[in-house]
Amino acid sequence: MLEAENLMVFFENALALNGFSMQVKPGEIIGVIGSNSAGKTTLMNTLSGLIIDMRIKEKRKGGERITVYGRVLYKGKDISDCPPDQRVKMGIVLSRERHPIFPESSVAENFLIAGYLRKRHEIIQVKKYVYSLFPTLESLRKRKAGFLSGGEQQMLAIGMALVVKPELLLLDEPLLGLSPLMQKAVMDAILDLNKTEGITVILSEQFARPVLPVINRGYVVENGMLTLTGTGKELMNNPEIKAAYFGV
Amino acid sequence: MLTGTILYAIINSAILALTAIGFNLTFGISGVANFAYGAFYVMAAYGVWMLIHMAHLPYPLAVLISISLTTLAGALMYRFVIIRIKGQTLSEVIATFGIGLSVLELFRYFGFVGFEYTLPVFVDKSFLIGDAYVDAQRLLIVAFAVVLIIALWLFTHYTHLGLAFRGIAQDERTSLTFGMDPDRIARMAVSFGAGLAAIAATVIVPLGSISPEEGYDVLIKALAVCIIGGLGSSGGVIIASVVIGFAERFTDSYIGSHWTMIVSLAALLLVLVIKPSGIFGKQKELEERI
Repeated sequence: MLEAENLMVFFENALALNGFSMQVKPGEIIGVIGSNSAGKTTLMNTLSGLIIDMRIKEKRKGGERITVYGRVLYKGKDISDCPPDQRVKMGIVLSRERHPIFPESSVAENFLIAGYLRKRHEIIQVKKYVYSLFPTLESLRKRKAGFLSGGEQQMLAIGMALVVKPELLLLDEPLLGLSPLMQKAVMDAILDLNKTEGITVILSEQFARPVLPVINRGYVVENGMLTLTGTGKELMNNPEIKAAYFGV
Repeated sequence: MLTGTILYAIINSAILALTAIGFNLTFGISGVANFAYGAFYVMAAYGVWMLIHMAHLPYPLAVLISISLTTLAGALMYRFVIIRIKGQTLSEVIATFGIGLSVLELFRYFGFVGFEYTLPVFVDKSFLIGDAYVDAQRLLIVAFAVVLIIALWLFTHYTHLGLAFRGIAQDERTSLTFGMDPDRIARMAVSFGAGLAAIAATVIVPLGSISPEEGYDVLIKALAVCIIGGLGSSGGVIIASVVIGFAERFTDSYIGSHWTMIVSLAALLLVLVIKPSGIFGKQKELEERI
């Protein structure tokens, strides 16, 4: 479904992603595991095309020079130069890190803004599904999203990405700042939307423990380079992963 | 005297709100401080005048064409100038201010100055309300301001494009992940702002005459209202217009007409000292709370 070939991303002369390749098959849940500054967010931005927008904006501003090498293929088509809005229309939807929501708008309105490309009745339909995934959101639907807790905002952020009806959902650190209980709720929801809606998921995370049992395959990234790859189970039993991420 | 003062204060507030609303819309959504705003205002007024007196078009048609052309001019300014320097706030200000200056001074250079440059009123009537005479045009301005504000509110809360405007205004990069094209939305924000300036011009200008100075005056007024209200906040624009509108009229009636300009500028300074983000600069407040 998605293929990344030899991605290299530079911010000025700093190398954020170094020769990274990955393949994703339809229906999979893929984990990208790595510590802070490993290049997870850069990878997500490159796959979703945000990096192209960032590059244009920085250029206009006379700011940082961003260079991207390598190819991203989606359903066999080279989309390396597609801007983010075109990739969204193709079905690649990213939920950015740190629960991106529109703080000034109510929860219900957040869904409406997220459904920019969708018809009203489609939005309502998906919203019902999101409320069934995260029942707490329904009781908060009139509250300003900026006043929700971190976990609630993360639920909302995932829900907003679902409103776009993705075929490939990219989740950038969906567990960041959540309590273990909330982490479990989010992981259960990811599993559910993969099983019932058939959405392919790539999620990046530094907390390997709740993620590894859920994912089909995982890529471990360090300093922008792929260090290890395998099924969730293989990674879980790998002594290096155990030492680095489980503290065993 | 009091009824008259209150009545004219309401009218003054409506005029201020109408002048500021376009500037505020553009800034709130695209983050572009459009300093050519006054030039668009004057350009629209001269446009109507030229269409009536040179092309001999009927008044309503001239108004519609002029508003559309000004809207288009806003879009062109974004497409060919602002887009290249977007994100460099200072360059944006210099570029738009430069465009505004040249447009206004060109009108002066070609001799568009004098009392004959005025627009006809929509309805030539006046009424006695309480103990004050009010003409129909002024009442129309109030009605127009109210309708326009309600229409804008409905637009930004219930239409796809309006909701996208508010999404971009709150978090541009997140909006991108929902398939919005930021340049398209920003271009529309600038052109809608110019269009609103044109609408304001066509209803307000019949009260006086058109001159290049009017452009600078409108820009200063719009800036004052937006800064006092909190840049980018629509609620702030309304409140600030009412505050300045009433303050100006009441000083005019009870203290002296030469103090009116001082009052609004003093209010501006006071707000900047006490609450630099403006009365309704709440975007920042929320951010701090999280």
